[in-house]
Amino acid sequence: MTTALEHVMDAIDIETYIVCNDENEGKKLSLQLGQEMNLGEIDIMYQEFDGYGVRVRLRKYVYKPGNMYKYLNQEEKT
Amino acid sequence: MAKKILCVPFDPVHDVGIKIIKSELDKNGHQTELLSPDLTPEAIVKIAANGNYDFILVSRTLGYGVAEMLARFVDMLDAAGVREKSKIVIGGKPITPELAAELGFDKGFGEHSSLEELLAYIEGREVKLTGAGLNRTKKDITSKYDYSFNNQEIGQLLDSIATKLIDFTKNKKSPGIERAKIQEELFYTEDESNKTNLLEKYYALCDNVIVDGNTKRNFVKGVREVTETELKNLNSFLSKSQPVNPYKIQYNEKQPLLFKFLGSGCPIMDITHAKVCERYGINGFLIINPSWEARYEGLLQGCLTHENDGTITSFENIKLVRQSLDESTLLTVRAHRGLNTPETVLLAGEAGADLAKINLVYGSLGAGTDPVRLAVDGIEAIKLTAKYNMPFDIPGNDELSGVPAWKTLAGLLINVMIGIKLGAKPILKPLFCYGPHIVINGMMIQNFIDYNAAKIYALREIVNSPIWPGEPIAFMTQSEERVQSANATSYHASLAASVGVDAITVASTDEAYSRGPICITSRIDSIRAISDAFRFVGDAKFQTTPQADYYTDDLIKKITKTLREVNAKSNLTTAIYEGCLGNKEDGAYPGKFGSGTVS
Repeated sequence: MTTALEHVMDAIDIETYIVCNDENEGKKLSLQLGQEMNLGEIDIMYQEFDGYGVRVRLRKYVYKPGNMYKYLNQEEKT
Repeated sequence: MAKKILCVPFDPVHDVGIKIIKSELDKNGHQTELLSPDLTPEAIVKIAANGNYDFILVSRTLGYGVAEMLARFVDMLDAAGVREKSKIVIGGKPITPELAAELGFDKGFGEHSSLEELLAYIEGREVKLTGAGLNRTKKDITSKYDYSFNNQEIGQLLDSIATKLIDFTKNKKSPGIERAKIQEELFYTEDESNKTNLLEKYYALCDNVIVDGNTKRNFVKGVREVTETELKNLNSFLSKSQPVNPYKIQYNEKQPLLFKFLGSGCPIMDITHAKVCERYGINGFLIINPSWEARYEGLLQGCLTHENDGTITSFENIKLVRQSLDESTLLTVRAHRGLNTPETVLLAGEAGADLAKINLVYGSLGAGTDPVRLAVDGIEAIKLTAKYNMPFDIPGNDELSGVPAWKTLAGLLINVMIGIKLGAKPILKPLFCYGPHIVINGMMIQNFIDYNAAKIYALREIVNSPIWPGEPIAFMTQSEERVQSANATSYHASLAASVGVDAITVASTDEAYSRGPICITSRIDSIRAISDAFRFVGDAKFQTTPQADYYTDDLIKKITKTLREVNAKSNLTTAIYEGCLGNKEDGAYPGKFGSGTVS
């Protein structure tokens, strides 16, 4: 049985708005969000603070070039 | 056989959808009857019950409480015996097959459903696919052009510059040319002992890193061979893809072809991305090689994957990508970066690529190849493009270092004339960008349209040649913000459509993001944005201001002046060394790779 995560072609992006006091707090909460969602290390692709919070786009790579892409193995597809 | 269909706008406001569907059903020979949108459910049920309709098509946009209302309406139709003689169908933006079934309809069509799907259902047949592949033919970007020069002085200057360079390179040799000749023999040699001898000669002309990789399979960090299992799985993935009708990006035939970069490092990732992009309507791809490959004499052999930017230039990698693409999809391979230009064109030609990317000037500037080496290798490479009947595309990315546009355009035109003289088919690739020289000198303070358009107008006034802005368009206008990036690309694409160029290279919305590989959703983002922009612009045009005419004249004058300076030198290589086409103040300097290797 394969996991849904293994079927992601390359990356998962999360776009959201985090209420916070400044950019640093926004960054900290963004990274914490990745941990809370069991995504491990994530990258903050984009962050914009507007006084109330940050609009963020976070990325978790499931596969990078050179990895074994499990979704290619059709026999094991769910 | 024609069906009798009752079209019901179950919505007091939004009845445009059902009107369009009625019109299409009529065109396909069905008998339709459209009700007015102000009827009560009871009145509709009465009409449906009294008529002998094959289908009752209900159109409704969902909102609060509407689902319950629709379910009650279906109950009323059932109670009146309508379902015994008619199929009851719902259509509307948020409708899904599951929701339609839940509400009691026989079938549901949503915003992603096509008219063909509805027709197939009504006519009781399978959905017709437009073709097993992408239902398009391969385009030759150069076919409409005769390369005649409208500007006689520029034509004569280029003729002189190109002739002097071709004469200069005559009888000159480089390890790059020698290797290409050996490779060519290797392709056509059956004899194993001859092959071994040829490989020994080849390795004698390579750097140790390449020899070790090819003989001991001891590769530079991050490189490994693609396994048989991976290739088998890729084939399985490609063969099992579901046939669906692909999207089309261009709204009319005049709009430019769209190219995207490949070069994730991994040919398999490149292919999976490319196949998805093909379904979204992309017309072609450019394979970009790793920057380290440029430094070494010789190329690695085999199907290889790489953990960092740039897909390794090998015959096997190019062939794998080419064979995985649809026949109609164009593929160009970057050849001018580094010490393997003729060999790269040879491999591209043998692997079935459609174009090669060569610019003798840009490839010699910045972190590039020594001008003499690239001149000698480049002339041989352009001859090979002619031999394989592959047009060669000439990117003007030196502008991104800070080189003024007129110097970059002069460089592109020199390549065009060299190509003409060698019987090749060149393609001009000026940048659509917010380059450093433009920023500093304020040419885009008013808008991003005039100066980009002026580059095209100027080139058109000079020569009748294909034009393909890149590389990618919108360079330096994109940010890491996804929507902004998609918009910037789509505006530039619309400008390209407005000025009637032949093709464009477009970025993903990850263009400004440099901390990881480009992901597939970012590729789709920009394609969808451009597709929408092309529909919006259609056959209309972005309007330039009179400033564009001033810029056009100014560019032509400065291109002429630059070419006069180049022509005053003994040959093009001297002109590049002496900064005529970009100097240190411009942020450009002659490349050093391969210096002293020409004999």
